[in-house]
Amino acid sequence: MNTVVAGITYRALLGRRRIILLLVLPLGLIALAVLLRLFGETGQRSAMLLMDNFAINTMLPLLGLIAGTGVIAPEIDDGTIIHLLSKPISRPAIVRTKFLVAASLLAVFGAVPTYVAAWLLVSNEDSIATGFAFGALLAGIAYAAVFLLLGVLTRHAVAIGVIYALVWETVVGGFVPGARRFSIQQWAKSIADQISDSAFLKADVTLGFAVPALLIVTVAAVFWAGRRLRSFSLTGDE
Amino acid sequence: MSEIYDIGYRHYDGPRLGRGYATRALALHSLRGVFGLGRPARSKIMPFSLATIMLIPAIVNIALMALIQRSEIAYSAYAVIMQAVVAVFLAAQAPTVVAPDLRYRVLPLYLSRPVAIVEYVGAKVAAMTASLFLLVAVPLTLMYAGELVIDLPGPPATGEYAGAMTMTLVLALLLSSFGLALASFTPRRGLGVASVITVYLLSFAAVPVVYGTLASTGNEAQAAWAWLMNPFWLVDSVQSWVFGTPPHSIEGDYPNGPASAVILVVLICVGLGALALRYRKAASR
Repeated sequence: MNTVVAGITYRALLGRRRIILLLVLPLGLIALAVLLRLFGETGQRSAMLLMDNFAINTMLPLLGLIAGTGVIAPEIDDGTIIHLLSKPISRPAIVRTKFLVAASLLAVFGAVPTYVAAWLLVSNEDSIATGFAFGALLAGIAYAAVFLLLGVLTRHAVAIGVIYALVWETVVGGFVPGARRFSIQQWAKSIADQISDSAFLKADVTLGFAVPALLIVTVAAVFWAGRRLRSFSLTGDE
Repeated sequence: MSEIYDIGYRHYDGPRLGRGYATRALALHSLRGVFGLGRPARSKIMPFSLATIMLIPAIVNIALMALIQRSEIAYSAYAVIMQAVVAVFLAAQAPTVVAPDLRYRVLPLYLSRPVAIVEYVGAKVAAMTASLFLLVAVPLTLMYAGELVIDLPGPPATGEYAGAMTMTLVLALLLSSFGLALASFTPRRGLGVASVITVYLLSFAAVPVVYGTLASTGNEAQAAWAWLMNPFWLVDSVQSWVFGTPPHSIEGDYPNGPASAVILVVLICVGLGALALRYRKAASR
């Protein structure tokens, strides 16, 4: 953990217009919740629809992608990472710092709006809001780690991440039940299911698989990204 | 051409090819760049793998036509069914068209030639439109050729094919004007990809929620407008109005009448206008 590196990373992600990108999705989620509250039915079923289709399936992976790759990929892309790598800071420490920055951003822009949106619809009924917020928090941390690793591994991190989130988690997970075991979203849902007592929420993955999987994926991704950055070679742009 | 010092270099007195030629050359160069032609192999991976994915349903459909003598995928539905792939292609490739010129500040070099901002932006939009059109039109044409060769019972669906090709061009123009406008706001490629896909997914994921909300309270007529928030369903609603094809929304109809066509034209103008404003600012730096 290095506070200077953390400060630079926060400024790179939140400075100027870039914060808009992080704000668009949470604001969209809250706007939809307000719309549902004003015009639609506010029961648990519609809350589930919004949480499932929008918060966990769309917002969370995208925020993870923006924050996770955003902490390191732009620096690699324009070559300024060389200034950071040439300082006497251990590379795994750089990765850990950047991971903590991404995770904190996901907590603020992912988990908090999820709680607010769910609370707007069902208040504190059956701990739905707490469950989804907690699931979004843990899954957001895992997404931050995975997409940070992807940002170190490849220059097409954002495009590959979008394909993983859209094609693997949504389409393949929708048709092939077995693929759901290897989807961060489903792990988030099983945590939400554990905390909430709502009858509408049904998780496909058991908690005994989801929690260790989240832990292993997060730790392994951060560790591997640190290893990778130790032997990082800066190649020219295409 | 005025010279302050003539230091004895040879002058160019061959034919001058003019702005039209320069614009066409820029458009062709950008189009090649979208597919990674003339660039290293790793920039070809993404566009060509997405183009291959686009072909798979067409090939499967041709096989089905040969086996069961019936087409399972309508020409008019192709873009809507494959919208995620088209959107990923747009998000991944739009920044490669605009970002490098902004990042390396080479815009003044272009503008010191006979190319003006209008032509520069026009060439970029034309290149992105052509690439998106090719992405959807090639599978459609392949499917049509398959239908002609297999010779299904009944007349071939030439009218629907022609309508789908026309609407594909309109869709490509809408997507590329918006995609390039969003991508040109940042000189960094990763952020450009993220912002384009964010806007697309926002429109894609919000639509069923808004539709479901309004439809569950009995406002079917108002709920139908929700589909127009997503570019693919918007173009499909215009297609269903102009060519009389069935709607390809997930459930329910589109609003009747020319309103969606008006929205479509307004959106294209907004996208192109935003792009022109952005480049006017970028060129003055």
